[in-house]
Amino acid sequence: MLRPSTIGAIIRTFNLPTVMVGMMALAFAATSALAFDEVQYPDWSGQWHRPRGVGIQWDQTKPLGRGQQAPLTPEYRALFEASLADQAKGGQGEDARFTCIPPGMPRIMTIIWPAEFVILPKITYVNFENHMPRRIYTDGRSFPTNEEPSFAGYSTGQWRDTDGDGRYDTLEVETRNLKGPRTFETTGLPMHKDNQTIVKERIALDRSNPDILLNEITTIDNALTRPWTVTKKYRRERNFIWFENVCAEGNAHVAIGKENYMLSADGLLMPARKNQAPPDLRYFQQTQR
Amino acid sequence: MLDRNSIAFVAVVLTLGATAWTSDARAWDDALYPDLKGQWRVVGGPMRFDPNKPWGPGQEAPLTPEYQAIFEANLKAQAVGGQGTTPTYTCLSPGMPRVTNGYGQIEFVVTPDTTHVLVQHIHDNRRIFTDGRNWPADVEPSFLGYSIGKWVDADGDGRYDQLEVETRYFKGPRAFNSSGIPLHNDNQTVVKERIFLDRSDRDLLHNQVTVTDNALTRPWTVSKRYRREPDRQPFWREVNCAENNNHVEIGKENYMMSADGLLMPTRKDQRPPDLRYFNAEATGAVKR
Repeated sequence: MLRPSTIGAIIRTFNLPTVMVGMMALAFAATSALAFDEVQYPDWSGQWHRPRGVGIQWDQTKPLGRGQQAPLTPEYRALFEASLADQAKGGQGEDARFTCIPPGMPRIMTIIWPAEFVILPKITYVNFENHMPRRIYTDGRSFPTNEEPSFAGYSTGQWRDTDGDGRYDTLEVETRNLKGPRTFETTGLPMHKDNQTIVKERIALDRSNPDILLNEITTIDNALTRPWTVTKKYRRERNFIWFENVCAEGNAHVAIGKENYMLSADGLLMPARKNQAPPDLRYFQQTQR
Repeated sequence: MLDRNSIAFVAVVLTLGATAWTSDARAWDDALYPDLKGQWRVVGGPMRFDPNKPWGPGQEAPLTPEYQAIFEANLKAQAVGGQGTTPTYTCLSPGMPRVTNGYGQIEFVVTPDTTHVLVQHIHDNRRIFTDGRNWPADVEPSFLGYSIGKWVDADGDGRYDQLEVETRYFKGPRAFNSSGIPLHNDNQTVVKERIFLDRSDRDLLHNQVTVTDNALTRPWTVSKRYRREPDRQPFWREVNCAENNNHVEIGKENYMMSADGLLMPTRKDQRPPDLRYFNAEATGAVKR
């Protein structure tokens, strides 16, 4: 650290304005050395959950299933009704999650299990307890033109200072390049099989409660007659632990071909619905049956 | 009017103030940390725990006689189509230390409190806590364990260059690699890592991994290397183990799914699954 005598010597050697400019330059240099000014970004640290009492439905303000009043096209409404009918008989309908494939976008943002946001200048990660993370690129890049589609899709984002206080408060995200099968929720509320879904998000803290994060999600999909917008709330937990959540561990569903069976407590295959035929065993030698 | 000394004092206060601001609880200088950005892939292939030795028995794992016998029985089971002691065919997490083998693309996300190690394989993402915490009193065991790390300035240049990590609190089953080299069923494993960039090649990352485990006669240390992909906007492949997984586990038996979606044996003379829970009418309906 500079001693007063040293400072005096500097002042005697250089004129005062030069010293002032030098000191200020040093001050700004110290500032600019800061590679990441986290204060520019909102504090989304901690662990985020669904609000207490909110289930796993897509629109948190409406009941699961038909109660969602999803703006489905007639074709996809029929598919949805067939899914509900199959589930009523013990099937899985349009919901393929029982095999542990990811829910994908936008369903992953229901945050059935807790999530975490890690904000860096060029990227925001959304880490989940039981899925691979989402990467939201905020470095100004465009969507890639030739990349393999995925359940999570490809997300680009832009930070906004909507209240003009000099700090970012809202992350606007667009997600494309998705693959399926994906549904909005466990009831099998479907998205179009062409996977041309576009998901737009506006994520910001509730102005009246910094422990509530709001995610306004608009889904544009050819299974829908119009863009469908819902606002999800997430509740912050500041004292938390992370659990390892492995879907395949203890998963009692057994998918064979297009059929879903169940594993009994004693480790034997059993039907998932009434009068379900057992698996075809033609590839086992006759003598072993 | 301010005299010279007062002006100098103000200037110094401004300088130190700006410096102190950088230590704001939510502002940090990532230049203090090594640049680990980008996508990393293991050098030498992901199938071996010690990348410098051949797969399987060639690893020369210092196993106790009891666990050497388990390993050899496992190799025999694998030779006839079984999975032996490696349970990951059911899409369980390989856990630590196997996750360091680099079977998926790897990303290190360094923040002051936590270094996240993201592995493209469903949910093998590690959190290495670097906030100075102690071991919690009550941790639920996991495949990946609980990791505490410490950044070290080994060369004294004022910047961190090495992350030292210790990982405890495991559950199993876990194996060192796909050949089924076992870890002890008591899951008392302790894994220590030293992660640092190569001094002469900043696109090469070293991870010296030491495993202390009751299946071993001594701590087993291996040196792994990861190569940074040159593409600064790399493609992250979404790998979902459960997607198109042709293994079908029923009870303790592993079967396979044929290309036409039917169940088939994985080894010669394997018995089909017990269908006693299907009613006779449904069972009879199956065309065999």
